[in-house]
Amino acid sequence: MEEIKKAKEVYKSIKIPSRLESCVKDAISSKTNKYYSFRGLKYAMSTIACTFVVFIFFINVNPSFAVQIYNIPVLGDIARVFTVKEYHEDDNLKLINAKIPAIQNTGNTDLEQRINYEIMTKMNEVLKEAEDRAKSYKEAVIATGGKEEDYVPVNIQVDYEIKYSKDDIISLVIYKSETLASAYTETFFYNIDIETGKNLTLKDLLGEDYKGIINESIFNQIEERSKDQNNSYFTADEGGFTGIEDEFQDFYINQNGKIVIVFPKYAIAPGYMGMQEFEIDKQIF
Amino acid sequence: MQDTTQILIEFIEENQEKLYRIAFSYVKNEDLALDIVQESIEKALRNIKTLKHEEYVKTWFYRILINESLQFVRLNKNTTLCQVEDLKDYIEWNDNITLDGIDLYNNISKLKEKLRTVIILRFFEDLKIEEIARITKTSPNTVKSRLYKGLEELRKLIKM
Repeated sequence: MEEIKKAKEVYKSIKIPSRLESCVKDAISSKTNKYYSFRGLKYAMSTIACTFVVFIFFINVNPSFAVQIYNIPVLGDIARVFTVKEYHEDDNLKLINAKIPAIQNTGNTDLEQRINYEIMTKMNEVLKEAEDRAKSYKEAVIATGGKEEDYVPVNIQVDYEIKYSKDDIISLVIYKSETLASAYTETFFYNIDIETGKNLTLKDLLGEDYKGIINESIFNQIEERSKDQNNSYFTADEGGFTGIEDEFQDFYINQNGKIVIVFPKYAIAPGYMGMQEFEIDKQIF
Repeated sequence: MQDTTQILIEFIEENQEKLYRIAFSYVKNEDLALDIVQESIEKALRNIKTLKHEEYVKTWFYRILINESLQFVRLNKNTTLCQVEDLKDYIEWNDNITLDGIDLYNNISKLKEKLRTVIILRFFEDLKIEEIARITKTSPNTVKSRLYKGLEELRKLIKM
């Protein structure tokens, strides 16, 4: 068939975006963005992972040990958040690796119970959804003529990172990812004031004009980052950044005691840019 | 094991433009195609241990790439991905390009997944029938019959 050669000419002339090379490089070195994928996070955490294992063990068997470490400054920060449940499941449908955090030793048990229950409920829901998705995907593979062995079990992971833990404040991020599609990477943010038992809001932290402060800072940072041609943010027409959300804007508090505003992958930039983070340059703590 | 990873990385680096064009042909969208390439590489590196024979790196990686592409197509099936007019922006114009060619290239997206895959791999990437069989986990005869069927359907679509 001669005509197919004409189509091949078109195929051969598909423009190669200049970003391809850096995308490929990033994927190979997996340094796209520390928070972009779960693996990146794991590397980042590997140094303290061992500490966790030992701690969880001791905290669970020996409450007085936990109280002791709380008095040691650096270690105490870690001891307030610990893995309450590690969960592995491996069958021909999915491979689940979940590490679910909880808080303890804050001196506010009501708050601990409420937060821990909230996290646990949320994570159970998330894992259930992921499993349902794996199930329907497997059915789709078989319905479209695939064999049982063509189906690669979906890999579901849950892990967390403590962003800030000093005095009365804990800022915690939980990550969930599924290998089925990158769109199913979800992140949950918990910013807790232990003394009042409140979930901190941006308004609490920055005052009435929080929106103005944040929006201005983000617009400036987007402009700055766009100078690098590898970065392309969506324009307002394409669904790009026009201002932060009223109530549901994701953020955490970083080690420097500053607010970091987070946008999920695809939210304000193409997927290859990964999750987008903007530190707001104002000392909160 | 280190060697297989090395072979895979070299293969990816040398063939990145091909990988992009394949992904693009499924989704007809630059950002999505870049995403697919990136996801496929990460997935492959993560699962490299499951690859027993290093001589199959190429077909193994193609399979991952195609599965990723099809997943994106399935997830986005409600969105019209690309119009012929838009496609013009994605092409480096030269004298060999004809409107017939564009029309035909675009119509390949209308084929069923299995037919589309063999057409892309055979006619655009010039892969051997045996290689395509390994990528799609079918027999060479199945590949041949899908090629035949794919061409027939294309003929019907563009009435050539």
